Amino acid sequence: MALLAANNLSVALTRGGSAFPAISDLSFQLEPGKILGLVGESGAGKSMIGRTIAQLLPSGFSVTGGTLDFAGEDLVTMAPEKRRRLLGRDIAFIPQEPLSALNPVLTIGQQMREHLARIGKTEPARWREHALAMFAAVHLPHGAELLDKYPHQLSGGMCQRVLIAMAFASRPRLLVADEPTTALDVTIQARIVKLIEEMRQHEDTAVVFITHDLRLAAQICDQVLVLYAGRPAEYGPARDVFARPAHPYSRCLQLASPGMGSERRGLFILPERMPGLQAIKTLTGCRFADRCPNVVAQCRTSEPPLAKVDGERVAACIRPEATAAIEPPPAAAHAKVTGETVLEASGVSKDFVTRRRLFRAPATFRAVDKADFVLRENEFVGIVGESGSGKSTLARLVVGLESPSQGRLTLLGRDVTANRTSERAFRREHLQIVFQDPQSALNPRRRVAGIVTQAMEAAGGGTGTERLERARALLDEIGLAPETALRYPSQLSGGQKQRVNIARALCALPRVLVADEIVSGLDVSVQAQLLDLLLRLRQERGFSMLFISHDLSVVRYLCDRVLVMYRGEIVESGPTETVFAAPSHAYTRALLASVPPDDADAAWNRDDGGDLALVERA
Amino acid sequence: MFATIAKLLARRILVSIPILLLVSMLLFMILRVLPVDPAAMSLPPNATIEEIEAKRVEMGLTLPLPQQYAIWLSQVAHGDFGTSIQLRTSVTRLIGQTLPATIELAVLAMAIASALGIAGGLLLFYLRGTRSETVLDVGSIALLSLPEFLWGLFLILLFGVWFEFLPFTGVLSAGYQKPDITGFLLVDSLITGQFATFWNAVQHLILPAFALGVSFSPPIMRVLRSSLLDVYQDDYIHQARLRGLSERRILIGHALKNAILPTLSLMGVQFGFLFGGTLLIEIIYSYPGMGNLMVDAIRNTDLPIIQAVGLTYCVVVLVISILVDSLYLILNPKLRTR
Repeated sequence: MALLAANNLSVALTRGGSAFPAISDLSFQLEPGKILGLVGESGAGKSMIGRTIAQLLPSGFSVTGGTLDFAGEDLVTMAPEKRRRLLGRDIAFIPQEPLSALNPVLTIGQQMREHLARIGKTEPARWREHALAMFAAVHLPHGAELLDKYPHQLSGGMCQRVLIAMAFASRPRLLVADEPTTALDVTIQARIVKLIEEMRQHEDTAVVFITHDLRLAAQICDQVLVLYAGRPAEYGPARDVFARPAHPYSRCLQLASPGMGSERRGLFILPERMPGLQAIKTLTGCRFADRCPNVVAQCRTSEPPLAKVDGERVAACIRPEATAAIEPPPAAAHAKVTGETVLEASGVSKDFVTRRRLFRAPATFRAVDKADFVLRENEFVGIVGESGSGKSTLARLVVGLESPSQGRLTLLGRDVTANRTSERAFRREHLQIVFQDPQSALNPRRRVAGIVTQAMEAAGGGTGTERLERARALLDEIGLAPETALRYPSQLSGGQKQRVNIARALCALPRVLVADEIVSGLDVSVQAQLLDLLLRLRQERGFSMLFISHDLSVVRYLCDRVLVMYRGEIVESGPTETVFAAPSHAYTRALLASVPPDDADAAWNRDDGGDLALVERA
Repeated sequence: MFATIAKLLARRILVSIPILLLVSMLLFMILRVLPVDPAAMSLPPNATIEEIEAKRVEMGLTLPLPQQYAIWLSQVAHGDFGTSIQLRTSVTRLIGQTLPATIELAVLAMAIASALGIAGGLLLFYLRGTRSETVLDVGSIALLSLPEFLWGLFLILLFGVWFEFLPFTGVLSAGYQKPDITGFLLVDSLITGQFATFWNAVQHLILPAFALGVSFSPPIMRVLRSSLLDVYQDDYIHQARLRGLSERRILIGHALKNAILPTLSLMGVQFGFLFGGTLLIEIIYSYPGMGNLMVDAIRNTDLPIIQAVGLTYCVVVLVISILVDSLYLILNPKLRTR
């Protein structure tokens, strides 16, 4: 019998007397010991399902129909007190942001103890033993010391292990993991996923695995449910869905993410955005119709029902046989860049003072160690490595937010190492940075026009009309409507904000752009749009870019050359294709191994990533 | 943890020295600029010009100002604030007699403000989104908008005059002996086992402390409520719910410990203001503390007392802020490991 079964489950937001559907007619069955993957872009309703299981819906949302049975009992109609007793005991959750999911003012031990007391499986006096046993099970070293630490003293991966230890302490029957690896490094992702699989096997736990990464889902899940705008698009065995997607949306998602397969392919650009709650209400016909490359007139008349495609697979499409014909555009070949050098670093190092000592030289930590590289005209160079590898520090050195402790930085033939006032002006003119998080990088109280033309302020301003005109031209260039100029950042979507962020950097026509993780945290469809935009802008106006990313597939798609950083050192560099096809450094091999393969049938050999002692920082 | 706190204490005390020097300089200079002559004031009204001149030389008032300041400062550093012009007793002794009473009043008032503020904040948060919250909210603004001296008068009228519930002048009723060991009446009466005296003293303290405390509670209440609302947006609260913890446990065990931090900084700042606020309350309740001493001294331009009281206020405020910072460090592990 299924442990968790949804039958025509619907969730809606009720506001002003009308209901806006967030999840419509969802049905699935999850057996003990199996993993169900919920896949889709943000806003598809994946996390809403997790919240529905706990019945902790955001205010205004409620279940409007159907049932959600856990071990034969409907979670929706269950008495709240009874449901609460199930949570943490029989149903455990692993969150997306491990660092913020632990209380910052309590030690790990205090939180572990509270949780163990709550689930009541150990005598209170023996909680320590149990906690340490759980830490050992999730491969957390130095468990006893860990108990006295606070969350901020641990890395994200370690916090996630603590949370997994908590989740499995009660031997739950169901585990809900909501993007458990999104906020973590790739090498850690592989090991966390492995850990969840291990624990599942050991305890015969059923797992709901929420992810935006179809490739990851294909690797670890038994079943996959692809959601689009709150409706199931496709549901079936994971390998079938990945190998031969039946719904155009599954296929498009797959093609929108850059592959790691032997052949480099272009990205499928899904146009526009998923309809929001408001739009869904008034939609007739297929919710995906507006973005579907296979759309026909019939798609818009009525919502296609979930119909059997093959074997155990169902898809909500009237022409699933046409899906396989959707092909990605050919890949833009990597440029063989031979132009002049625009940026050069020779022996650049950066030491940070970790502790000042009286009468002795301060203790230092070397974040970047003797970095040498060149960036040529119109070249995109990727810097990859995990957090703490020094890639962001290197970016900050290049931009002038930090000064190198040693070495030399040359921009367009001019030495800018010292970072004096005159050099700063020169740097500002020719080099710009795009920050990772547009949400915090854009001033929420300024209109888009003011934000994107900020560079003009330093150069003396220009009149309001001049700036507005420049803003409109820039917005046009990055593919936003001119009326966006008068909006505020809060009125834009995540992808639009990142476009504005890029437009701001481009305003002064810089020769070099430094981009720090600018597509991480975005949906694959938005990511594909932005990567496409960067390539197009290079073609149209020409600029060089240092592209920092932890996502190897994105770097492979976008960058001509790649630098691999490990503990502050550039351990390998070369043309992207060469480095990825035949990595020479063990660390590069480990990085590559930690990415789930393109082919669902290929074994994902994650032990490579685990064996190399990529010690998580304590 | 103790090492970090010791380090903080050392740094803060070091920083306090220049602050105290600056304040002492200001106090000294400003009072010298006043058009009063301490020499003339300390002599009978029929003294001759020559006698006054002689007194000026004796008091050192003819010396250059920096030198006068240096002399005064070195005396102060030795705990000698000079002699009161009006009362003709040691100012240090006067401060020693009145400061404990004022500290007792301020501490009790702060305790009342904190208790009311934290309870009110929790209540406001608990009632969030209901009509009672709006009512309570308006009520707290009303509390806030009444200044403490009006509270003082109002409470005297209500509990002292109409209901004749509580005494409202002095620290003890007639017939009670004041024990004198540490100078703190509540402490002394407990040490010596005079519980009747202790109870009488508490009764005398209730009205002034409440008048002072109640007007300081609304900001605490509102800051606690809004930081609780913020904290409830955090992931760990959601995660605690997903772990099946009860709402009560989440509020007390998880949310409050985080939400109390901004509230604590506010309370530190408020205690400084509250200490200054004792002045008016002491006068209204004829409470024999430093405030009354100060007002009398100002009325009589008794410069040594004004200087001494001013400096004492400054020291007390500095000590409070150092204490609050240490407490903050104890409660916030993130600051400790920086």
